[in-house]
Amino acid sequence: MKKIIVSVLGHDRPGILAAVSGALLDNGCNIENASQTILQSVFGSLLLVSTPEDLDTGQLESRMSESLCGMGLDIFIKELPAAKTDGHSSPGEAFIITACGPDRPGLVSAISRCMANHGINITNLRAVFKGGDVPDDNVMIFDVDIPEAVDLAVLNHDLDEITERLQLTINLQHRGIFNAMNRI
Amino acid sequence: MLSEKEIIATLDMIKCEHLDLRTVTIGINLFDCVSDDLQRFIGKLRNRIESLAGNLVETCNRIGGKYGIPVVNKRISISPMAAIGASFNSGELVRVAAALDDCARATGIDFIGGFSALVEKGMATGDRALIDAIPEALASTRHVCASVNVASTRAGINMDAVLRMGHTVKRAAELTADADGLAAAKLVVFANIPQDIPFMAGAYLGIGEPDAVINVGVSGPGVVKKAVDRLLESEPNADLGRISEVIKQTAARVTRAGELIGKEVAEALGIKFGVVDLSLAPTPTVGDSVGEIFQAMGLGSIGMPGSTAALALLNDAVKKGGAFASSHVGGLSGAFIPVSEDLNIATAAASGLLSLEKLEAMTSVCSVGLDMVALPGDTTAEMLAAIIADEMAIGVINKKTTAARLIPAPGKKAGERVYFGGLLGEGPVLAVNSGYRENRFVRHGGRIPAPLQSLIN
Repeated sequence: MKKIIVSVLGHDRPGILAAVSGALLDNGCNIENASQTILQSVFGSLLLVSTPEDLDTGQLESRMSESLCGMGLDIFIKELPAAKTDGHSSPGEAFIITACGPDRPGLVSAISRCMANHGINITNLRAVFKGGDVPDDNVMIFDVDIPEAVDLAVLNHDLDEITERLQLTINLQHRGIFNAMNRI
Repeated sequence: MLSEKEIIATLDMIKCEHLDLRTVTIGINLFDCVSDDLQRFIGKLRNRIESLAGNLVETCNRIGGKYGIPVVNKRISISPMAAIGASFNSGELVRVAAALDDCARATGIDFIGGFSALVEKGMATGDRALIDAIPEALASTRHVCASVNVASTRAGINMDAVLRMGHTVKRAAELTADADGLAAAKLVVFANIPQDIPFMAGAYLGIGEPDAVINVGVSGPGVVKKAVDRLLESEPNADLGRISEVIKQTAARVTRAGELIGKEVAEALGIKFGVVDLSLAPTPTVGDSVGEIFQAMGLGSIGMPGSTAALALLNDAVKKGGAFASSHVGGLSGAFIPVSEDLNIATAAASGLLSLEKLEAMTSVCSVGLDMVALPGDTTAEMLAAIIADEMAIGVINKKTTAARLIPAPGKKAGERVYFGGLLGEGPVLAVNSGYRENRFVRHGGRIPAPLQSLIN
């Protein structure tokens, strides 16, 4: 068995997953893991799929694109290399960075640049409107893995600089506190 | 994965609702420092305290910073000084207090507790010397706290000690007349004192505890108040069972935060973790008040009829939630109602809605007692002893901790204000019902016998 990653992007509507999974089944594939999200009206999904050894990935992509184009879906398939080389395997701890304040251009760029400079991997990113009466009450939530070697004081100092520049409130907290207070 | 709602709710508790870890207290056993040579004793004691607690402040700040929750106070509790310093006279014990104050400065902590005696059944020579030393020890130091346990459900009430404490409280206040009797704010008289309290001024490390232990005190009245507000906003018809449930859940969250940080501090210092004290401890800040919870629950003010029932509900829900959330609970565990330390309670007392008598009634269902209560400066030592005796009786009969931290503010009359500053806050001087200045009852002395443990109505 070899493994592929299938990405699906398109306008959200009923039946997308049924169509995609049906097409994969018809080609002898098995969905091992999946992640999907909807941003406003756009559906996006990543599927980790095992396929028969002799399956031609290029042909699979063409066949699926053809059969699913009627639903307005873009399909992209990539073969996974046999050995996993993720490039960021240094031990670290999970932290959560929250940035609260008005949405503005450059916010994600500034924080992610800061993370990159410290060798910190961002594992998830979400933007949420807190609700209530304040239209600028937006929260960006970055899930990050911080390597042991990173000096939290220096990182906080760098985040403080972004706080000042972009007029946001940025908090860096170990994920453990959120788990402790929300999970049994 | 944590949901956005969970992350934002947690963030709001910390940033908007004053959730913090009120204290991390390191308990230090000093029994093996005992010596009958004062210099030797002080040297060993300083060495032990400063070596064990030297990194406490830095460690708490680092770990609090990692989780984004401030550890507001770092404190030390020690073995009861009346026992470990039993060979010294009161003058020598005042010098020991000065050494403890030096330890506090050297380690950067804010209070050191354990200038204490346990005399519920009788006073030994060392106990008498310590109690005699308390006024000067507290007046001449900044960080030292004292406590004396004068009663227990098993021993009854030592009325000789109660009367002595009436005089001690009075003298401590007089020696700090220029600060509204501040020394008395660092002195608590207890019934059924727990041996692992992290909160001041009652913290000491009991006999039966290890060489060193980390106990933490959680806070969070603002978090509970907001949780009740949110509930009643979304469910205006929520009944008291539902309100209790929400307080319980909130207390569990607050407790989990405290336990997480406390355990990590203990691990970093290589010291055993002891207990989480599940208390709602207010500060003199708007939004960090136990009194405001009463208003959130629908009472116009703390002190009005219904307050005792509301406090019973609150105290019980906090305990239930906290006990579920933590592996080891202890200390005082419940709601505090310290008058000057809680802006809302101080305001209720100043407006006459909360009297000394109502406070006393409320202490029958909460975790501490008459706490940070300023009284007229002309309140006699006997009258103070009588107020203490009443408070002790509530604890002894109800098998619970009660305490009295009374400050007879020199030169001040009922209705005037006192100012202690910082977390000790400010507030009104409460009136004392002292129609008859003489109180022969407390002069009888002796011991009020321990109550029956059956026939419990």
